[in-house]
Amino acid sequence: MKINPVYQQESRISARSFRLPLIILLCNSILALVALLDMYSMISQVKTTAEIQYSSFLSLYVFAAGMEFVLLLLIVPALTSGSISGERERQTLNLLLTTRMTPGSIVIGKLLVSLSTVFLLIISSFPILSLVFIYGGVTVTDMIVLLCCFSSTALLGGCIGLCCSSVFKRSTIATTASYCVMAFLVFGTMALWRLASAIGGTTQGKEGLACLLLANPAVTFGTVIKSQAGHVRRIPFLEIWAEGSSVSPLIPYWLAFSMAVQLLLAFLCLWIAIDQVNPRRKRRWKI
Amino acid sequence: MLKIEGLKKMYGRATALDGLSMHVREGALYGFVGPNGAGKTTTIKILTGLLLPDGGSVTIDGADVVKDRGKVTESIGYVPDFFGVYDNLKVSEYMELFAACYGLYGLNARRRTETLLDQVGLGEKEDYYVDGLSRGMKQRLCLARALIHNPPILIMDEPTSGLDPRTRYEFKEILKDLREQEKTVVISSHILSELSEICTDIGIVEEGKMVLEGAMDDILSQINVRSPLMISVYRNREKALDILRNNSYAETITIRQNDIMVGFTGDREEEAALLQQMIQAGVMICGFMRERGNLESVFMQITDHEEGRVLLRED
Repeated sequence: MKINPVYQQESRISARSFRLPLIILLCNSILALVALLDMYSMISQVKTTAEIQYSSFLSLYVFAAGMEFVLLLLIVPALTSGSISGERERQTLNLLLTTRMTPGSIVIGKLLVSLSTVFLLIISSFPILSLVFIYGGVTVTDMIVLLCCFSSTALLGGCIGLCCSSVFKRSTIATTASYCVMAFLVFGTMALWRLASAIGGTTQGKEGLACLLLANPAVTFGTVIKSQAGHVRRIPFLEIWAEGSSVSPLIPYWLAFSMAVQLLLAFLCLWIAIDQVNPRRKRRWKI
Repeated sequence: MLKIEGLKKMYGRATALDGLSMHVREGALYGFVGPNGAGKTTTIKILTGLLLPDGGSVTIDGADVVKDRGKVTESIGYVPDFFGVYDNLKVSEYMELFAACYGLYGLNARRRTETLLDQVGLGEKEDYYVDGLSRGMKQRLCLARALIHNPPILIMDEPTSGLDPRTRYEFKEILKDLREQEKTVVISSHILSELSEICTDIGIVEEGKMVLEGAMDDILSQINVRSPLMISVYRNREKALDILRNNSYAETITIRQNDIMVGFTGDREEEAALLQQMIQAGVMICGFMRERGNLESVFMQITDHEEGRVLLRED
């Protein structure tokens, strides 16, 4: 079987390195510790009060999923932001570019390596998240939707990391830039929307700012969790403001729209990365 | 085999290549020399597809490097002036990675890897990590990597820089083997003595232009005529200098202890006439000969911009 050579080589190197098992061990240890402590406190409460709060088991799910989401946001850019710049620093990128490998296949090979690491991390953490199945409340479909949400976040984070890695020559700058872009998507878009809300009114510009939240993976994750654990199929804070505005028709389909926007954003980043790696492109900018 | 016509490349406002033309015949070992900043690496990068030219044409084995990228990739192997190796990868795995990059997988890749590693003397090192190899071994590995897809043309940019004399000698032997395999090799190097030993053809580039190109033997025979005339004077040096100052073929005169080095443009007949004139004037001469030309003297003459006639320069 013909596997992307970059993917094959990177997988081999990462399998030899201590980094991958360490990341999986650390992430799952944190998740397991938090989940088991939460479960222990709930069961202790049952023992002392003889009262079973089934909603607490759902909060365990929310907490564990939230923890994993934060870990994803932190890990994915770190995994990809050094991939292209690292090749440049090792001076191997030019060697690859003189072979039959196209810039696209090199970038996609790098993305696949990062995504396979992240998916390994996500899949390995599912037994911990499945603790919630002991007492029920979350269906397998809910878990699949959560997996899709994690996957789109991982893809977006991975593509942002690759994009920064191809634009910036040095890995440290690329990593910093990746975290800055992720921080803007998560906190920046939210801050802009809150600022618009604070100013008040429902002008066209503020509705546009609400659309910015479609690119926010945290809002997407919040939508998924709310729909699963909160039995709310809408985002309340957005709904209040957007009622009667041009954004309101989006609200019931927020999850689908936001995932689509994030996928588009990921593909845009991937295109920039491929263009930057291509030595035969007409240079548009230089950093 | 490799043909460059009027190649141009600008970096911003700076001109790197200014209409460079170059012709490499099949099976030649072509030495591509020039001072720093002359445009050698830019030319090599264009040949390997790592840069787009601003003008001119480059064809390799009949294929245009810009329009027919796929065919060019198959035709060339590139050895850069750096190693470009991955840590945590064994020698055989490194080779198999690049074999896969050229569409060679499985048994074919393994066989080709073994053959090439044996050829460059790394057959017993295939299970070693690349990172642990010596500088010379890494360079030989890079050469083997460049040959993984059996390209007819090998392009090497300063391959022996930073290597010790023994490794350079071994590298030179490998290049001779490649010549026997009828590979066309374009080699850029600053170590001119090495190039003159192994190269069949030479091209000297300066300020983005090809200033001299041709078969090594032809160029060396031409340069013999232009090499300085060494005259060892036993007595009457001032008289000899007077004669030389008045000789229209003597362009430069440099005094080095008892010897006089003359940049003499005349042919063998004028040399003989000069010798006769000196003897008749009573100059006692114990040595009179042309300095043997070599690639370094060719290079120095062509890239020396000192203009005008230097009549008396004492070292």
